[in-house]
Amino acid sequence: MFRLFASPPASPLHARLATSPLFATLSPRELRIVGTLIHERHYLAGEVIFDQGDEGQAIYTVLSGRVAICRQGDSGNPIATVAAGGLFGELALIDGGPRSAQARALDDCALGVMFRGDFTGLMTAHAAIAGKLSFQLARHYAGIIRRQAAATEAAP
Amino acid sequence: MTRTHNPAGPLIWTLGLALTCLLLFLFQKALWLVLPVLFALIAYYLLLPLKRRLLLAGVSHDGAAALVGTAIFALLALLLGLVSPALAQLADAVQEGGMRYLDGGLRLLDTALRWLENRFAFAARAGLATEAATQVASLREGLAARHLADAALTAAVWLPSVLLVPFIAFFMLRDGWRFRRFLANAVPNAFFERTLLLLDRLDRTARLYFQGLIRLTVLDALCLALGLWIIGLSSPLLLGVLTAVLAWIPYVGSIAGCLLVVLVAATDYPGNPSIALAAIALFIGVRLLDDFVFMPMTIGRSLRMHPLLTVLMIFAGGAVAGVTGLVLVLPLLASVMAVGETVGAVLADPRLRARHRHALALRQAAVTRDLPPPA
Repeated sequence: MFRLFASPPASPLHARLATSPLFATLSPRELRIVGTLIHERHYLAGEVIFDQGDEGQAIYTVLSGRVAICRQGDSGNPIATVAAGGLFGELALIDGGPRSAQARALDDCALGVMFRGDFTGLMTAHAAIAGKLSFQLARHYAGIIRRQAAATEAAP
Repeated sequence: MTRTHNPAGPLIWTLGLALTCLLLFLFQKALWLVLPVLFALIAYYLLLPLKRRLLLAGVSHDGAAALVGTAIFALLALLLGLVSPALAQLADAVQEGGMRYLDGGLRLLDTALRWLENRFAFAARAGLATEAATQVASLREGLAARHLADAALTAAVWLPSVLLVPFIAFFMLRDGWRFRRFLANAVPNAFFERTLLLLDRLDRTARLYFQGLIRLTVLDALCLALGLWIIGLSSPLLLGVLTAVLAWIPYVGSIAGCLLVVLVAATDYPGNPSIALAAIALFIGVRLLDDFVFMPMTIGRSLRMHPLLTVLMIFAGGAVAGVTGLVLVLPLLASVMAVGETVGAVLADPRLRARHRHALALRQAAVTRDLPPPA
């Protein structure tokens, strides 16, 4: 009876989400709340996840495998590679613009997908989770800026 | 190249309108199921925010649905227990007062017709008041005997359907998210984001419509009750709620509600037609307020349709499926168009179709990798 009203038990999906930097600071209970909003999808190596210019409706986290982020039609020279635990597709979700690059599976991979409506709903309704996710997103972008600055400095 | 979501074209609109009419026609044939589902949907969207709060507090889906369902049933049982003596009294009063209000209305009609006869010669020559009195007397003869059995039979037929409402609402609350996930899982990767968008738009359209409808009903009921109380009519809150609920049926419901208010006014103040006129003026005022202020604030936001199309579809809904069509046509059209726009956008997108074919080819290659080609 009491088990019915308790939090659902942690699933393998929750355990894999916990390895993602975006969700790393969430408590087990918060992770379970986020887990109910995540769709698990499987892609084969070479399969396109989204195209450059698409309307961005979801944010992706890599649960296993690797994903290449590349310019449309130039999959041989990826801009970045996202490994397990990494995050992509967040830019279009945050600024509401079209996808800035194509995402393509490098290996057979499993992805956790959170839809725009669920993401914004969660950010509006749960202050604690919203605070933690916002901070982790800010850290994610700080990392990108640092890497770009380092690359610029290293360039001749 | 930026590929964004395009609004529906003429083909999608035509198909959407035709499908809406077809669905209304089919719904009319299965009214015993459609009406409980409709009321269950209203209950579901009213209770959904409570369930979401519990989910965000870390309760499981099943637990949250069970908690909300139990709380609502307990609350309803408590309310029913508290108001049952008053309901019994009300039933007696309705039984006695029904004919009294009818008499009051007929007196008002008689007064109005005699006033017309006194003012206009053609009305006097036609003998409007006498003719109407004769017709009404023949209609009233054996009215109760003729219709009581039918009413009892209808109630017996509809009782199981009414009992379905809480049952369906509970399972929508408990398993609605599983159904959405089941649908999303069945969709190929290439169409997945668009499908999520479709499900979200459908859910949002229905949620905004039903929650807007409830808000509109509350606002209408409060305004009418306040106005009727100021005029001095009996049971203003009950009348306000009844007429606000009747307004769910476009046009016909408003007229029925106005008629009800006029009957009560004519009975409460038999020698004072100005009260009935004041009630009509109040009704028209609230309807105007409703159409120009409340409706755009509540339901209007959920159904972004051209006003002319809205009116035409209401008439079409009434012609195809009667009162049911009047009530259902707008939310149904909005839902059909949400599906049509997204399905149209998916099917008309050659890139998405090409991506899907590419994924199928990859899958085929993956499952036949270790199989030698046939000799």
